[in-house]
Amino acid sequence: MTSMRRSVILSRINRVFLYLAIAALFIVVVFPFYWMIVTSLQPQDAVMNVPPQLWPEHPTFQNYIEAWHAAPWTRYFANTAFVAVASTFLSLMTSSLAAFAFACIDFRGREALFNVVLSVMMIPTATTLIPNFLIIRTLGWYDKFLALIVPFSTSVFGIFLLRQYFLSMPKELWEAAQIDGASRFRYFRSIALPLAKPAIVTIAINSFLGAWTSFLWPTVMTQSPDKQLIEVALNSFLGEKGQQWSQLAAASVFTTIPIMVLFFFVQRQFIEGIGGGGIKG
Amino acid sequence: MDNKRTPAQRKQAVRNNVAGWLFTLPSVTVLFVFTFLPAFIVILLSLFDTNLVGQADFVGLGNFRQMLMSGDFWGSILRTLYFTVGSVPLAVAISLLIAVLLNAGIRGRAFWRIGFFIPYITPLVATSIIWLYIFNPDYGLLNAALKLVHLPASRWLTDTASAMPAMILYSTWHDVGFAVIIFMAALSRVPTELLEAAQIDGASGWRTFWHITWPMISPSTYFVVIINTIGAFKMFTQVAVLTQGGPVDATTTTGYYLYEQAFGQMHFGYAGAVSIGLFAIIFLLTMLQRRLTGNKVFYG
Repeated sequence: MTSMRRSVILSRINRVFLYLAIAALFIVVVFPFYWMIVTSLQPQDAVMNVPPQLWPEHPTFQNYIEAWHAAPWTRYFANTAFVAVASTFLSLMTSSLAAFAFACIDFRGREALFNVVLSVMMIPTATTLIPNFLIIRTLGWYDKFLALIVPFSTSVFGIFLLRQYFLSMPKELWEAAQIDGASRFRYFRSIALPLAKPAIVTIAINSFLGAWTSFLWPTVMTQSPDKQLIEVALNSFLGEKGQQWSQLAAASVFTTIPIMVLFFFVQRQFIEGIGGGGIKG
Repeated sequence: MDNKRTPAQRKQAVRNNVAGWLFTLPSVTVLFVFTFLPAFIVILLSLFDTNLVGQADFVGLGNFRQMLMSGDFWGSILRTLYFTVGSVPLAVAISLLIAVLLNAGIRGRAFWRIGFFIPYITPLVATSIIWLYIFNPDYGLLNAALKLVHLPASRWLTDTASAMPAMILYSTWHDVGFAVIIFMAALSRVPTELLEAAQIDGASGWRTFWHITWPMISPSTYFVVIINTIGAFKMFTQVAVLTQGGPVDATTTTGYYLYEQAFGQMHFGYAGAVSIGLFAIIFLLTMLQRRLTGNKVFYG
């Protein structure tokens, strides 16, 4: 009896330690975000205080106003939203069409072509950056939105994932649609695609996030200020503002907000996509 | 072969072929132009000494010879390995610890999980900016925290000795959430009967972990190690924002060196050779990872 009670107490102590450990790690990981927000609300003369103030004594939104007016952010937001939406939309269209063909149409050379497409994943983007710079220039797309959209208008990951979905759909569905006189494209658009919605959401999130956070590619492929994407613009803003941390923090906050909002809507699906996609056992 | 089919079947086969190629055409075109074609062009490019605007001299394997004899190239490889050795075991240890704690039947698991995952989805530029402030040697948060617990301060990103450790710290913070998710998924697949059996046999928590859990999640561990190593060789953004490869060249990893040679120095042919070197390294790592995880792994 006593040993049982002791083990209950022991496991309670263990649980307290468990929560303390998790909370401590959590605070360390999340603190930079807290610090970003606090800094964005500090007057500029307070950000170089030693020791730093963990709580803003005189919070102000002035930094947001000044940072917002210091650069054409509306333009950068519009550019980024346009590029992200366009590449996501195109990528969904082309990947789902290709995935449907690989899964449901018995055409000559299908297996070979699918293997070729999958082999693309062996070629890392870091090694194709320089020749792509040459290709983009040859196409006359340098410093144009086309250079930021078209190369990302398909996704091998998307083709792979959607093909799995289409393969898992019962053959009877397609047969029934044929009896009803539906064309292949009609079946694809009205039946197969809606059933693959979870995969489509996963691909859309990946593509949109990729475009919103892209940095190296737009740095290399664009030049004029009115073509800049948000992360490139933020880095230039860092170059201009040097150590004006409160304005820099404010700009970091407002450029990250769209990503955060998107993430909170789709976090479960996104996280489970990574966990499940990581390893298929 | 086809003559055994009825005309209707033959017609159907032709229509299938047309539809199949038509449906795959947009994707295949994009992949051809922006992935396969560049892979061939980079090989050609690496045989020339060119700035891409006029001057282009055929140098054969000269760029490769120059690369293999260049102290800067090998220096960048060594710094990338330094980064890898510093960050990968750290990331595995921390993410595994977090995953184990989160899988221990904790309340509000989804909430904690989001918190640990958030840095991973936030843009590198935006978070690098706040870390630049945190790392500031004179009034940054990190040195203030160290002072509070009576530890020596550091010059962090502004000193050749501490710049790479700072880079490791930031990158581990940013990427740890990805590994947490991978390990949480792996841990949830360890059969509970095995763990219960071990407990009944009187095995301690540590023993159960090292003898059952750790071997069972090893494919995920390999996956995390190799993905992070490949990530180290591709690393660019945080170097560009935090240090621009400096001070001196203390944080010039291979990914940044490649960029700097091409778009900073305009040595496009030489950078092409470095690209191929980088490809070889990443290719070997991917093969190694496939071998170790028995091809059960997929990543996009």
